[in-house]
Amino acid sequence: MSIRALWIISLEKGDHVSLRFSKRFSTVEHRAKLLAGTAYVPVPDEDIVLQLLLTELGLSDPEKAFVSLRDDCSHCPRSPALELRLSGCEQDTLWPVLTVSQGTLILACLPLVDVPTKPRPPLFSLLSVSKGLTLLSGLQTFLLSSGGKHDPEGLASRLALLPSVLLQICPLGTPLDVPLAGPPATSTTVLPVGNQKQPAWKTGLHRGRAVVNVALTEVVRSMQYGNPNRQDLWDVYGTVTCKCEVEGVLPNVTVTLTLPPNGSPLQDILVHPCVTSVDSSILTATSVENGDSSAFWGPYKFPSLLLLSPSDYAAILLRDLMSAVEVKVNHGQVDASKEKNLLVWIIGQKFPKSREVSLEGKVSFGGPVPGPTDPMCSGLTAYIKLYFKVPDLTLSGCSVDQHSVQVYSTAKPKIFTARELQSSDYFIWNSTGTAPVSSGQMML
Amino acid sequence: MGLFCRSPARFLSSSGTTAETVLAELLRELREDRAPAHVKVLLLSPFCEQPLVLCPSHSVGEETSLELMSVYSQCSPKALTLRCHLLLAITSVLVCTDCVRRRSNTAQDFLELLFQIVQDTSELHSDSTSRSLRATACDCLRELEACCPGLLSQHLELLGVLRQRESSRLHQAYSELYTLVMRNGVYQLAQDTGAGPDDLKALLEGDTSVACEVTQDSDLMNTKDFSALSSLVLGPMGAVPTLHTGLDCKELRSVLSSLLEDSYLLTPLAQADLLHKLIELVAMVPGVPPTIFRAQLLRLLGTIEVSLLHTSLLMKSAFTDSLFSAEDEAFLLKRLVVLSQHPLLNTPEKLFYMDCLLHFPENRPIGCGDETLPVLLTPQLATAVVPTVFNDSVTMLTRFNLLSMVYLENGVERMRKGEALPTCMSIWLLCLALWEMGATVKLLLPFLEPPFFFFFILVMQKTMQSHPLGSSAYQLADETQNKLQNSSWTVALLQGFQNTISNVSLTKLTSQELNSHLKIMARVAEEKDIPQHKTLLFLSAVVIASSSSLLGNWRLGNGILAVCRRLLTHPGLDTLLITLADVLQHMATSYRDTDIRDHSRLYYTLLTNLSKEKLAGVLERGTATEGDQVKKRTLSCIVAESEGHASILTIKKVEEAVLKLVELKTTEPQELPEDGKNWLCNSTDAVGAYRAQFDIPDFASEVTLNYQLVHNEKKASHFDHLFSICLHLSLTDEHYEELGDITVPCLFREKSPPIVKLKLKPRHPYPTFLRASAVFTTQDGLTWYSELPEIHISFQQTFCPVPVPPPGVNLHT
Repeated sequence: MSIRALWIISLEKGDHVSLRFSKRFSTVEHRAKLLAGTAYVPVPDEDIVLQLLLTELGLSDPEKAFVSLRDDCSHCPRSPALELRLSGCEQDTLWPVLTVSQGTLILACLPLVDVPTKPRPPLFSLLSVSKGLTLLSGLQTFLLSSGGKHDPEGLASRLALLPSVLLQICPLGTPLDVPLAGPPATSTTVLPVGNQKQPAWKTGLHRGRAVVNVALTEVVRSMQYGNPNRQDLWDVYGTVTCKCEVEGVLPNVTVTLTLPPNGSPLQDILVHPCVTSVDSSILTATSVENGDSSAFWGPYKFPSLLLLSPSDYAAILLRDLMSAVEVKVNHGQVDASKEKNLLVWIIGQKFPKSREVSLEGKVSFGGPVPGPTDPMCSGLTAYIKLYFKVPDLTLSGCSVDQHSVQVYSTAKPKIFTARELQSSDYFIWNSTGTAPVSSGQMML
Repeated sequence: MGLFCRSPARFLSSSGTTAETVLAELLRELREDRAPAHVKVLLLSPFCEQPLVLCPSHSVGEETSLELMSVYSQCSPKALTLRCHLLLAITSVLVCTDCVRRRSNTAQDFLELLFQIVQDTSELHSDSTSRSLRATACDCLRELEACCPGLLSQHLELLGVLRQRESSRLHQAYSELYTLVMRNGVYQLAQDTGAGPDDLKALLEGDTSVACEVTQDSDLMNTKDFSALSSLVLGPMGAVPTLHTGLDCKELRSVLSSLLEDSYLLTPLAQADLLHKLIELVAMVPGVPPTIFRAQLLRLLGTIEVSLLHTSLLMKSAFTDSLFSAEDEAFLLKRLVVLSQHPLLNTPEKLFYMDCLLHFPENRPIGCGDETLPVLLTPQLATAVVPTVFNDSVTMLTRFNLLSMVYLENGVERMRKGEALPTCMSIWLLCLALWEMGATVKLLLPFLEPPFFFFFILVMQKTMQSHPLGSSAYQLADETQNKLQNSSWTVALLQGFQNTISNVSLTKLTSQELNSHLKIMARVAEEKDIPQHKTLLFLSAVVIASSSSLLGNWRLGNGILAVCRRLLTHPGLDTLLITLADVLQHMATSYRDTDIRDHSRLYYTLLTNLSKEKLAGVLERGTATEGDQVKKRTLSCIVAESEGHASILTIKKVEEAVLKLVELKTTEPQELPEDGKNWLCNSTDAVGAYRAQFDIPDFASEVTLNYQLVHNEKKASHFDHLFSICLHLSLTDEHYEELGDITVPCLFREKSPPIVKLKLKPRHPYPTFLRASAVFTTQDGLTWYSELPEIHISFQQTFCPVPVPPPGVNLHT
């Protein structure tokens, strides 16, 4: 199943929008024409697509909060597939347009619809939709492989590589693979070895020292209110990655996860396609089944959270422009940015012996100029956002024992294991102010 | 190249070239030996992206692909990337110009070339950075087969051998090609009512005698039916062509098993494609049981890859309970719920799963409507998708929608009993918090569904303090009315808005917010069942505030008057009378805008002098004419002003010219100047005077041309009677002084046309033409704008007439 066209757009500062890359797949378009017959809607010129797409995504005219074409209550966006109305007429609609966006980069594609279009088919009947989504997020990972940092040169150089990347992964509009995030492996001959077929997703055969790296990363999200009327909320999810540099066509590695005796079971496990077999009982453990009975509601205290972390800091977003800041900390340093209305407290890598750090201070507002007008900075902005990493710790207690990793290979590989806890969306709210509250479930 | 591919039409018009020239140029450059390979790759992109612009007919397409093939044969074997791109370009041209479907000679030659490449295993030296030529050739063959199903059916056996022989990573390309050709071949057989197990065997074993016969019989692409291109994975309602083979189709079964066994070696995207084709195949051949997929199921259900899980849904849809037991179904549904909120997946993927939940292919579907909830999705299961603070607004909206459907399904009664109360309340609070943070009003839309609505009103009345209710809120009210026939809910909603707005502190509002608040209040005032005291309170606050600030502009005044006018017709007017009169009087005396003062005075007079019934009569007639094509300008219409202003004040444009200026030929004597009598007396003096005027330094000649203003077309229209015509003339060069506008009081078709005098002041005597436009009013009070045909001024016309005595006058010499 194929896609008809692909667009990559970047949104620069000052609302400058530019089309960084576009590609039309003419043979797929030919099929689209044959399939749709009289209902065929050709892909319009890029500037039209661009304009409609930005309107639909709410990026075209930031001043205009209400665009009836998009915000009309009778038209409810429920799926990841957008529709671009080329004219007032309903027949003249480009559907389904898929988009993924991160930061300033927006990727979009138009999958081929290979089932009758009247009435509009559900998305699940179109394999091209899920394939398109995979392609887009694969390309996104490739283009932003600098790790989320703003890197215009890197982006430009990777965009320049796109034609050859697409030749590999989507030569005639049919996505075959996602691009490799890193540089291609060094030794990647396609020599056939015996009768065993080589997996198409392995870049090549490894030569050299045999190394297996198993890394366990957990991410914790939290909303803490410090208020008896509001339930604290947190969830933890994680990934186990195994990088296997072992000789052989199909080296087989088995990784065993262990949990502490009193730990809660792992739920909602998703499996990478290279995992050859899974036990059905692993998949049946799910967080959705038991509902509230398995949920565990706070309070959550993480006394050891900020130990030995390489980059801990807390950021406080404030409203109105600060005029005077007097802050005392017993540890680390505080950076007050008056322009951004931000207090950043860099706690550092170690805690004092008391294991308690505090920040006391007084901030006066009302400078000569009004503060930022970002809507995020009004009302619900009295919060602290924590960023931290804790090496060698998982909240679930889950771990991989080095000796439990079994590698079926002729060479005896060196095995490394590591684990780490990271924060994401970790908020502590002003206990006396307003805060967004919801009763979601806690997942572990 | 980029510009050409993005918008060929614009490229051609801006560069002034034709597609033909571009094609010739591209081919010339490609044949150029010295051009580097990467430049040539770039030059090939128009062939891949816009082949139909370059080759508008199949003959051009054929010639072009011949050219490209000769470029291919001449390029260095080392230039792998270029050769790959050439193959893609030729494929694109041949497919799009229909050469493949017509089985043209070039297409046959190209097929031969591709088969040569895919069979050539000597290509061992390929490095990792460039794509293998063989894989690209496979892709080209696959695309040719995809665009022209049945094209390669006769080669199925060869392709099978090639697939099995290949053990490097390239086996993926061969597998995909083989599967597609097999799928199309079987489809072809299934279309043929007479086909049976022997035909299937012949197809798989490459017995060309039988296969050939079949292709000739039913060449799929020679018919106008392109259904072979469509997906065959249909719901329970769709019909798939079937091939009756009996239970014995060992060959096919073994091929399918081998493909499935190796499927995990393919990339997830390729696997999904392969599985899709195999699902279609099994659906067409009842002799192969769907349980052949059984061994793959667990792997597919546990996967993180969206396209692989998707194939399990497609299997579910195609085979229902012949592959999925009731437990499997429940498990798959639970898995979908898990996936639709799994933190490791990105938002579009989660939204996709959410959509799949709403269209879940059930084993025994009850309804076949648009969006129906699966029976197994219980409210308890749905609590997993209760929105949380970590969600973005689209996710939240999708989740609300799903939840509202779940609760709707499970009865309002349970809600009333309070079973779902805490959940609803918390969703609400969250929703409002997000709204405050700038989310759109659409977030509230699911709450218009009955089970939530109760809370909607309750919470809104209690918690909404100072939200900027934009025009979207206004729409929300109307939408409530459309959506819920029960008007009491709209009333409740509007009453909520009324409460909220009347509690707002005016000093905090921007003028835009104030205007939209007034708009909502006007809507509130339309409701007969809502007591309007709060509306009036708000109005007087606005009026007092506006008189003491700069806010009192025409637009705001109209907003206030719109509310007043609705209050004038409100059944509860008696209780509002005094305050409303005060408001109007205040407006009439101290509002900053004259027009608004006048209107207020009129309203005040009407309110204080007419009985309630008469007042309603006068005002309602005004609104009743709304929407009529011809609107009579009556008092009631003027009274009902505000909203109508938009159409009255706007100047509408007529595309075709309504009027034209026709030159008046001077057959009769020139109009004599004032001192004509003297002139007659002494022609020498006259000529002298004519010459003397050139001696004055500031002298500028003025030429008067006479025109008749007439209707451009003969046929009668509603432009027959025009009033207040204003002609605007604009110059097209520098040789004349600017012209003033000319006004004509009226123009009636049946009366003699008015004469328009055009006074030209030339700086230089050059011929020229003038652009003319007219703004005029029609009988119905609407104002129009129309262009007139250009007015051409010839060289002769730019001179003042030399005084020549009229005929019959004797000159004294």
